[in-house]
Amino acid sequence: MKFGKRLKQQIEETLPSWRDKFLSYKELKKLVRLISSAESPMYGKEDAEAEFVYLLNNEIDKFNGFFMEQEEDFIIRHKDVYIQELQQRIERVISTWGTNGTKPSEAEYRDEMARVRKDMVNFHGEMVLLVNYSNINYTGLAKILKKYDKRTGGLLRLPFIQKVLQQPFFITDLVSKLVKECENTIDEMFPVQVEEEIVKEQREAITVAGKGIFRNTVAALLSMQEIRRGSSTYGHFSLPPLDLSDSDLIHSFQLNPPIPTV
Amino acid sequence: MEERPAFSIQRSGASQLNNHEISGGLSSSFPALSTHLEETYQKFPNTQQAHAERELMTRPLALATHLPTNNGVVGHIFSSSSGFSSDIHYSSALPSEKHSRNSPFISQSPTNTAALPLSQSSHSLLPQSTIPSHCNKENSGSWCTDPDFLDFPVSTPVLSSQVQNSSCSGIIRSEDLGKQNDWQEWADQLITGDDALASNWNELLVDNVTNLEPNMAYQVEKPCTTVLAQNQQLPSPSVESQSVVNPSSSANNAPAKPRMRWTPELHEAFVEAVNQLGGSERATPKGVLKLMKVEGLTIYHVKSHLQKYRTARYRPEPSEGSSEKKLTSKEEISSLDLKAGMGITEALRLQMEVQKQLHEQLEIQRNLQLQIEEQGRYLQMMFEKQKSGLDKLKGSSSNQANPPVPSDATNESPTKTEMESSQRDPGNSGTGTVNAKSMLERSPQEICGEHKAPETGDLEKPKTRVSESSSQQTSKRPRIEE
Repeated sequence: MKFGKRLKQQIEETLPSWRDKFLSYKELKKLVRLISSAESPMYGKEDAEAEFVYLLNNEIDKFNGFFMEQEEDFIIRHKDVYIQELQQRIERVISTWGTNGTKPSEAEYRDEMARVRKDMVNFHGEMVLLVNYSNINYTGLAKILKKYDKRTGGLLRLPFIQKVLQQPFFITDLVSKLVKECENTIDEMFPVQVEEEIVKEQREAITVAGKGIFRNTVAALLSMQEIRRGSSTYGHFSLPPLDLSDSDLIHSFQLNPPIPTV
Repeated sequence: MEERPAFSIQRSGASQLNNHEISGGLSSSFPALSTHLEETYQKFPNTQQAHAERELMTRPLALATHLPTNNGVVGHIFSSSSGFSSDIHYSSALPSEKHSRNSPFISQSPTNTAALPLSQSSHSLLPQSTIPSHCNKENSGSWCTDPDFLDFPVSTPVLSSQVQNSSCSGIIRSEDLGKQNDWQEWADQLITGDDALASNWNELLVDNVTNLEPNMAYQVEKPCTTVLAQNQQLPSPSVESQSVVNPSSSANNAPAKPRMRWTPELHEAFVEAVNQLGGSERATPKGVLKLMKVEGLTIYHVKSHLQKYRTARYRPEPSEGSSEKKLTSKEEISSLDLKAGMGITEALRLQMEVQKQLHEQLEIQRNLQLQIEEQGRYLQMMFEKQKSGLDKLKGSSSNQANPPVPSDATNESPTKTEMESSQRDPGNSGTGTVNAKSMLERSPQEICGEHKAPETGDLEKPKTRVSESSSQQTSKRPRIEE
């Protein structure tokens, strides 16, 4: 139940075009209930399982398709994001010391750089959200399979999850690599100033409004923390509680409007 | 790494296929059979496909020999399908395996095409042929089952009780690659020609494979993983020989083109080709395809990629340099600044911080998940071996009456708790097996005590579960420790 709610929250928070690409966790859960309760001779167990597997496979297809499409998009864009930034810098240099002669105002420069930085950070965020998408769908699948086995006494989970592990949507290596690349580029271009560290300590509760990527990543991180807080069915292929070292940072976040907790 | 020629097939190329067959080509009229198939296929969604398969199971020999012969197979399929609703023995050894293969019967053809090497070189794909929507639904993520299927008869020497299976596998093995290639082309043709054909075909062949004991499941999965591993390793090698066509199905896109997984290297080659042709606006998909010279790449892949590329290029350009845009971006930034009114730099830094953390945690989580499943699989195999070994020792059939389901379930539970506690630290990666063995000795209380769950309330429930499983565990212990 908890996961279902968390998933739903994440779906609500997510970028609009992603809304229908997530796991239909609730529906599948209902189906599992249905299968376990209505064991009629008409619709035998194998058939029910076939139906269930069929639906799961459809979901997996959906994930694969969406994931690879996004991945392709990132591949196309990733160089451009950096090139854009470089171009900006070159433009700056030229106009500052070049034939133009007139030095652009500090404010303009800062705005330009801020814009570039924002683009890069958002690009980074999009990629991270895709990795999150992959992971949350995987988690959902694992949970659904576990429920299925538990309720019907089937042996579907283990072989099926092995198969899922091989799916393109779960193999996020490339996107992770792009993320790291982006991180490095951003760190190089925009080195973190010492003053900013101090500001962090003085920070009060940060309200995150809007519908942007930032909000989504915060939501995703919070969700992950909640999901892994220790479940009632702990101990069976469960992940340990999330260990966020910099817990101050994440706990100072608060999504606006506030989401009712479970 | 596999060499993959462009694996498209012309419908008219049926005669080409026949050249490569072992048995003679039965060139009955293709369209006629197609329609017949379609009619029969229509019945399938309503009844269980399993019925048809069982019926058709009786003819795996014929089917195997006629692998490349689409027409011949079709004939066989339908001659026996007339009585598909009749009662047939159904092996329920691997219901899950079976059904996971039953469903994705359409996509298996295109995926298979991509997954396995073809010896034919001069074919053009027919991805444009639209799969009817109902068949589209059959596309599945279990696309690896096809490689499974094809690899399986080859790799496993002795199959289950069915004579037909062994002969089927024997036939497949003897023809091996050639067969596989022909099969794919044939399957591809069927996809374009008639989806029902392919679906039936896959069902049939799949069904032969699935009538096996459960412990075959892992071997079955392995060929799949090797095929996939090859797919995934493709990004590293050079572009020329790189054919990264990923055999997953394009579920939501109507055309039957196999889903392509692009890599940065491939994209580089693409960009180079585009630039050579004078830019994204001037380049044509055909030209790019020719220039790239990547095996397995089709014009449809290039087309869609080019489209995306154009869109991506077009968008940033207007935003650069125009003062108007600068203003709006300024407003954007200030509006973005709803992060408690801090400076832009600070806001972005904060956002970056969160994103980095999320990514880090996701990676950790993913590794944990992989580890968990790996250990689960390993322990499951161990238990299976133990069990089969013990059964052999005991000899009598009555002792083998240990119902597989509960024993597996209980065997899983102690192992899971062990793995759970062994994976407490993300850094504790390689000690899984050792921990698992040592933890068999430990009491459930100890294991529970290790749980880092902060709330004591949570400890109650895990405890009860673990103690349940531990009681079963103790009953199983003598068996395990033998």
